[in-house]
Amino acid sequence: MSVAEGTRVPGPESAGVPGSECAARAGIARTGQPATGPTLLEGDFVVTRRSFDVMAQISLAPGQRLSLFGTSGAGKTTILEAIAGTVTPRRGEVRLDGRLVNAAPGSWRSRRRGATPAGRREQPVAMRHRGIAVVRQPTSVFPHLSVRKNVAYGLGHARDVAAVLGVVGLDDVQEAMPEMLSGGQRQRVCLARALARPFRALLLDEPFSAIDVSSRSELRDVIIDAVRRQDAVALLVTHDLTEAQAFGHQIAVVDRGRLVQIADADLLVRQPATTRVASLCGYTSFLDCSADRKWALHPDRFIEGDHPDRGIVLSGTVASVQAFGSGFACDIIGAAVSSSADVVTGSPRTRIPVHVDSPPEVGIEWVVTAVDPPLVSRVTGAEEQEG
Amino acid sequence: MLGRVPAFAAVGVSAVVWIVLLAPFAELLSQVSFHSIRQGLDQPPGLAPLWTSLEASSIALGAMIVLGTPLAYLLARNRLKAPRLVEAGIVVPLLMPPLVIGLLLIFLIGQAGPVGRVVQNIDPNVFGVNTFFALVVAEFFEAAPYFILAATAAFATVDSRLEHDAQLLGDRPLNAFRKVTLPLAAPGLATGLSIAWARAMGAFGAVLIVAYNPAGLPITIDTSFIAFGLSRALVFALLLIVAALPLPLLAFLWSARARSRRSVQMAA
Repeated sequence: MSVAEGTRVPGPESAGVPGSECAARAGIARTGQPATGPTLLEGDFVVTRRSFDVMAQISLAPGQRLSLFGTSGAGKTTILEAIAGTVTPRRGEVRLDGRLVNAAPGSWRSRRRGATPAGRREQPVAMRHRGIAVVRQPTSVFPHLSVRKNVAYGLGHARDVAAVLGVVGLDDVQEAMPEMLSGGQRQRVCLARALARPFRALLLDEPFSAIDVSSRSELRDVIIDAVRRQDAVALLVTHDLTEAQAFGHQIAVVDRGRLVQIADADLLVRQPATTRVASLCGYTSFLDCSADRKWALHPDRFIEGDHPDRGIVLSGTVASVQAFGSGFACDIIGAAVSSSADVVTGSPRTRIPVHVDSPPEVGIEWVVTAVDPPLVSRVTGAEEQEG
Repeated sequence: MLGRVPAFAAVGVSAVVWIVLLAPFAELLSQVSFHSIRQGLDQPPGLAPLWTSLEASSIALGAMIVLGTPLAYLLARNRLKAPRLVEAGIVVPLLMPPLVIGLLLIFLIGQAGPVGRVVQNIDPNVFGVNTFFALVVAEFFEAAPYFILAATAAFATVDSRLEHDAQLLGDRPLNAFRKVTLPLAAPGLATGLSIAWARAMGAFGAVLIVAYNPAGLPITIDTSFIAFGLSRALVFALLLIVAALPLPLLAFLWSARARSRRSVQMAA
C-alpha cells in the first residue's frame, strides 16, 4: 500500500474521545494540527532501510513544531535526514515553501508533480539554497575549526557570531578548538551554528542529549523563540517523552519506521492509540477488562498506595460482580485519591471495571492495580495486535 | 599475556628491530665519503638522473592527485557502480610484479597496442617507449595504487554528514569538499602521497622495460653498479634516499600527530 493510499481507521476519537488523532491501520499517520496558514513543510515519502522501510506523511504550517518521539532505531533520524534531503527516498518527495528539496529518483510522483512548463523534470533545490538548519549529535561540529569559525561557517561575516555564542552560553570559549570542549559545549556549538543563519526549517536530532538538565529548558526557549521569529517549522527527534512534550505542538510517535500516532502532547499520553504507543508513553501494566479492551497504568500519574511491592495501587470498594469468561468482571468504586502536583486523578467515585479470577464479595474493600478511565489506554483488540 | 612482558624486554625488542632495519642505512653512510660523492657526481651522468627522477615523479604524483583523488572520494562515498570491481582494478598493479607491469605497458604506449599506435602518431619521440612520457607512465602505474587506496581510506574516515552540514550552511559541494573534507582527510592523504612519492622515485621494474632512457636514479644505480661497481652505485643510492625519504618521513610524522590529536578529540 502506498503512502498516498494509506488507510485511516477510527481511533479513540470515534470511541468518543474528542480531539484525538487516529493511527492508521497501515501504520501511517499524518500531522493533524489544523493548519491555519499555508503549509510550509510537506513530506510524503518512503525510505528504505536495512531492516524496514521508513514511511512518513508530514505537513507543517509556519511556526509549527513537531516532536518525533520513539525508541532508538525506530527511524526518527531517517525521517529527519529525508526532510533535510541528505537521504534519498525510494518513493515520494519533500517540499519546503513549495520548493522540492528531496524526491525519489524517477518516481512517478516527482515526474508528474515536477513537470515544468518546459516539460522537464523538476530537480530538488541545491542543499545550500534549501533554508534548512540541522543540529545533529555532537560529532557534527567541524573538528578542525574553532568555535567561532564553526558558528561563522557559511555566514561570510562574523558580525553576529558573538551574539549567537552569548545566547547559547559559549561566549568565553570562542577561540577554543572542539577537542577542548565537553560534549554539551559541542552541542551548543552546533545549535549556535544552526541559529546563526536564517532558516525555514530547523531539524534537531537529540540536540540536548549531552546538555545538563538545568540548561535544557533555557536552550529550548531559545530555539522556540528563533522558530517563532522566523515563522519557520521545527522538528525535534528525541526518545525523551518529557522533552517531546515540552517542545512540540504535536508529538509524532515513530515505531519501526511508521508514524503510528500524531497527537497533541498531552492527549498522546492520556489517550494513546495502541498498546504499543501506550507502552512507549510509559504505561507499564495492561489489564484485560473485556474481550476487546484493556486498561493500563501510568506510573507518573498516580500516588503510590499501601502496597508499593505491587506497583502503584489504588484502593476501592467492589460495587458489583459479573461472571466474565473464565473469571469475573467487577466494578470498583474508587476511594478518595488526593490530588497533588503532577498527579492527576479522577473522581473519587469513579467506577473501575476490573477482570478478576475469583469473585470478590460486594461491599468489601478491594485493592486493585487499575486506574480511573480518563487516564488509561482504551485499545481495541485489532489495534492491540497491530501495535 | 603481552601485558606481562616487562618494559625492558619491550624496549629491547624494539631496539633490535630498529637496529636491524636501519643497519643497511648506517652501513651505506659509512661506505660513502664526501669525496667519493663529489667524485661520482663530477662524472657523467652527474646530477641528471636526479632531476629526471624528480621531474617524472612530480608529474606522476600530480597525475595521481588529479585522477586518483576524485576516484578515491567516489569509492569512499560508495558512489560508483560496482565499487569492489573498481577497487580490484586498482589493486591489480599493486599485486603484479613490476616487470610484468612493464611488459603490459608496452601494449599501452608501445606500437603493439591500439593506444600506443594512437599516442605515437602524435609524436613518437615524445609518447613512445623509452621516452620521458614512458617513465612517467611507468612510475604512475607502480605508485598510483598506493595513493588511491590510502586516499580512499582517508576520505572514508570523514563523516559524510559534515559535508552535508557544510552544504546546508550555504557551501557549494566543491567548497564543502575543500573546506571540510580535504582538511580532515589531509593526514591520510599525506601518508598516501608520501608512500606514492617514495614508490615513484624508486620505481624500477616497469621502468626497466618501457623507460630505460632517459635514465632516472634507479636505472642509473643499476647501470653504475654493473659498469663501475658498488662504490659508484652507492653514490646514486644515497642521492635517491636523500631525495625520496624526507618527504614521506615528514608526512608520516605530521599525519601521526594529527591522528593522535583527532583520537584525543573523539575520546573526549
